[in-house]
This record gives sequence, C-alpha cells and structure tokens, in this order.
Amino acid sequence: MAAPEVHHLFHAPIADHSFSADRKTLAIARDTTVELYGRVGNAFKLKDELKGHDKTVTSIDIAPNSGRIVSCSQDRNALVWEPTPQGYKPTLVLLRINRAATFVRWSPSETKFAVGSGDRLIAVCYFEEENDWWVSKHLKKPIRSTVTAVAWHPNSVLLAAGSTDAHARVFSSFIKGVDARPEPTAWGERLPFNTVCGEYMNNSAGWIHSVAFSPSGDALAFAAHDSSITVVYPSAPEQPPKAVVSINTQLLPFMSLIWNGEDEIIAAGYDCEAFRFRGGIDGWQLTGALEAKGRPGLGDQREESALNMFRQMDLKGKVKDDTQLKTVHQNTITMIRPYETSGPSVRRFSSSGVDGRVVIWTV
Amino acid sequence: MSIIREHTQATLSDAWRTINIDALQEDSSVNFDTATLHPPQPEISESEARQLQGQVRQLLRGGDAEGALRGCLEAPVYNGSELARETHLQTVIEVLQSIKASEMTPMLQRIYASPGGSECLDVLMKYLYKGMAASSSSSAGSAPRTPSRVTPQPTGFSQVGARPGAPTESTGAAMSVLLSWHEKVVEVAGLGCIGRVMTDWRRV
Repeated sequence: MAAPEVHHLFHAPIADHSFSADRKTLAIARDTTVELYGRVGNAFKLKDELKGHDKTVTSIDIAPNSGRIVSCSQDRNALVWEPTPQGYKPTLVLLRINRAATFVRWSPSETKFAVGSGDRLIAVCYFEEENDWWVSKHLKKPIRSTVTAVAWHPNSVLLAAGSTDAHARVFSSFIKGVDARPEPTAWGERLPFNTVCGEYMNNSAGWIHSVAFSPSGDALAFAAHDSSITVVYPSAPEQPPKAVVSINTQLLPFMSLIWNGEDEIIAAGYDCEAFRFRGGIDGWQLTGALEAKGRPGLGDQREESALNMFRQMDLKGKVKDDTQLKTVHQNTITMIRPYETSGPSVRRFSSSGVDGRVVIWTV
Repeated sequence: MSIIREHTQATLSDAWRTINIDALQEDSSVNFDTATLHPPQPEISESEARQLQGQVRQLLRGGDAEGALRGCLEAPVYNGSELARETHLQTVIEVLQSIKASEMTPMLQRIYASPGGSECLDVLMKYLYKGMAASSSSSAGSAPRTPSRVTPQPTGFSQVGARPGAPTESTGAAMSVLLSWHEKVVEVAGLGCIGRVMTDWRRV
C-alpha cells in the first residue's frame, strides 16, 4: 500500500473538503470562508478565498462537470459560486430556513442540490430559468430533528438523509421540469416529491452521522453515534427491506463513510483513522484499519542512548514522547470522500478532519 | 417626545426577550416527545423480574455462571416499574459477584463472540453504570432510604441493595466488583460499548 499523501493546511478544524474533477483544486470550509487550494507540485497552495458567509461554513461541494461550488453555512444561507474568468461569482440561494444549514451536496445530474438543516427539513434547490435564480422546495415530513447528512442516489431523484432523530430516511426529490422520470428501483416506482421511500433506525437509536448509497443505489449504509454501521437492502416498494445488517464495533463512532464497490465500506471518525468493512446482504464485518501502523517515520523507534534517555527525563520528565497519536490524522476525521474512482470501486479517497489535515489514501 | 418615551417604557419592556418562543411553537423541538422516536419496549412486571431472578439463582447454584449471566442480560428490564428494574439490577449484580475474577475475561470473550453477544455486553455495561449510580447514591444518601427502594431481601444475598446497617463496607465492595467488571468489559467490547450505553434510548 502506497503511503498516504498528507497535506497539513493549517491548525484549525476543516468542516468539509471537496476536490475538483481534475483534482487540481481543493476547496476547504474553514471558519466563515471557503478556501481554494491549487496543486503546486506535491503541495496545495492557497490561491483564493471565497468570502460571502458571515457564520461558520458547514459544508461545501464542487460539482465535477460544471465546476460550480456550493457552500452552506450556519448563517442559514447557501451560495452557489459560479466560475467566471474574473473569479468566482456568488449567487444566493433562497433556502427559506430559520436554523443553520448543516450539509450540502450536488445531485449527480448537477441540476439540483440538497441542503440539510437544523430546521428539521431538507431544502432541495434547483435553478429556475425564467426568474434566473435558485429556488428551493422543502422535504419536511417526517423529519423530527436536525439533518446531519444527505446523500444522493445515482438517479438524482432519491435522496438519503440522516438525522439526529436517529432515523436514516430515503426521500424522493423529484422536481417536475428538472428531472426526467426515473426508472423504477427497489426503493419505489412512482415518486412524487417528498415520497418517503424508507425510514430506518438501528437498535440503540443513536443519531446518524453519515449516509451513503451503494454505487448501484440498491443499498443504503449509515453510521450512527452508537459506533455502528447499518446497511439496508430494500426489497420492493412499500415492502419491508430484504435485510438490515447492523454492525456494532468496539471503536468510537464513525463520522463519515463511503462505499467501495458493493461489498466494501470505508468509514472513519473519532478514532482518527479509517476502517474497512466487508460483506454483503448476508452480513458485514469489520476487517480492520486501513492505516498500516508502525510505518517508518511515524511510530519512530529511535535508537535510545542512555545519555538521550536521561536528557529526555530531565527535559520532559519522561522518556517517551507520547504527545502524538500513532495515526496520520491527529484528531477526529469528519469527512471522507472518493478521490479517484474506477467504475464502482474507489482507488483513492481523501479525508479531512479537526486537525486541519487533508490526507489522500490509497485503498 | 415625552409621549414617545412614555409609550416605549410602558410597552417595550425587556420581558419579551425571556419568552421561550420554542415552547409556543407546536412543532418545535421543545414540544417533542422523544418516546415517539423508538419502538416501545414490552413491559416487564416485578413478578416477572422475580421469576427470572429465581431462575438465574438456580443456574448459579447449578454452577452455570455463564448461563446465568447470559440469562439475565438477554432479558433487560427496559420498560417496567422502579421495583422491577431494581430487582433485575440485583439479579445481575448477584451473578457478577459470584463469578471469580479469573473467569471474567474468558467468559466475556465467549459471550462477545457468540451471536448477539455484543448486545449482551452493552446491556451488562448499562447495569454496571446503574449499579455504580445506585451504590454511590445509597452511600451518599445514608440512613433514611426512600420507601420505594426498600425491597424485601429474603436471602440477604445482595450487597448492593445495601442493608441499612453497614452501608459503607458493602457499597465499597460492590463498587470494586463493578469497577473490575467495567475494566474487563471495556477490554473486550471496546470504547464503543460505553458510547452505546450513553447513546441508547433503552435505559435499564
């Protein structure tokens, strides 16, 4: 396994990160601004700051084809940043929410995006040509609490959302005139806006940190605060699912998860490193950490001379320097995203966290 | 000008700032019954809890400590009267106290590896914390015990239920048993287990 590519950008938490399709631009949600980093050789250098929000930016996403950036913030606004020759031009989106916006993602079609919020709703936003602005429609029922994460189905109509009311839900976000009628799936056949196609929770009802559809869209995984991952396999519309597989782990909770093909899930969170799960409809298992421990350079066991030992004891009162975690990330990983994919499988993925690092991992 | 001043002072006090607007809004989080979020648990009466206690004691006398532990962990009292909960806690603690320290870890590992084992250890952790809370409050609250807590103890088996005579010794002993179990459970089921106990809606 190739060594991970570590970019320590600054000493502040990264709320969210997103790479452009060519992987030359990296957008970072830092405090109230969106920072754009450009790749220079092996490093990322700050090249632009997008200022438009006046409270913490909670989430960002770069649309791979159009290059538009959408950001959302605790100031209850979402901005779409349009790339122009003179730099990025922001457009305000009318979200009509009165709590913080928490999470935003472009649909795969890039004609819509969904904003989760603390107002117990998801705003599905699309561009209205005749008025020349972004408008939103609300997915409201039956969400009972803050939406913490959203994820799109490959057909750009179904939307999964995780919430602090401990439910992961699948909604239809079909918007007439924007979406083509989707093919029927196991989640549903007729899908008017705000159809609830599924509502799931796990045994201990911990709140949901992350949701993700499998590459085919026929399974849904979510990570909850009870250190578990649950995978749902739907059977047919209006029917109970074929299987709901829940794996409780010995680890701390996961904040983010991605699928690698249909039989592998990568999740990372409060343990500051990524873990691999393998399985299928018959059961899932934690197969171990992705990070190889004791790599040269990290868990460095220096040759200790007696002189050095006593010097350390004198200086620090202890022999070993244990102020560093053995993992690459030195604090919670809050977001992982696919970085390089080939078909349904992920070759490389990127992670960002509270420690201000963005790390690119080889699977 | 004076009219304006009078007007503002009379009507624009600061009192409105303290109005809890969330309470007035029907669908706000304040008026939210969290019990609707999770499926209801079957209610377990005190007599059922006692019955289980009898069965578990029988298993213990038969020398099947692991069976006894599994038995009481698979039937936690999530929904029941205070008395039923208390009885079940005593059942669990009786079992815990009868297991030797050297047997703890292998037994926990066997339970964890078996199907549904992770869930069992989560339940055990819940009872450990409940036991700690009970024994610390009974030592702090000292002599006059609330009527609901005075449970008949026919055999005098239980120590955490604390006879009013010697509260300090027995609570100390019970606490050390709970603490050593806590350590062993964390070794086997990891920190995730503690997280789940804190997250879980199903309280014992």
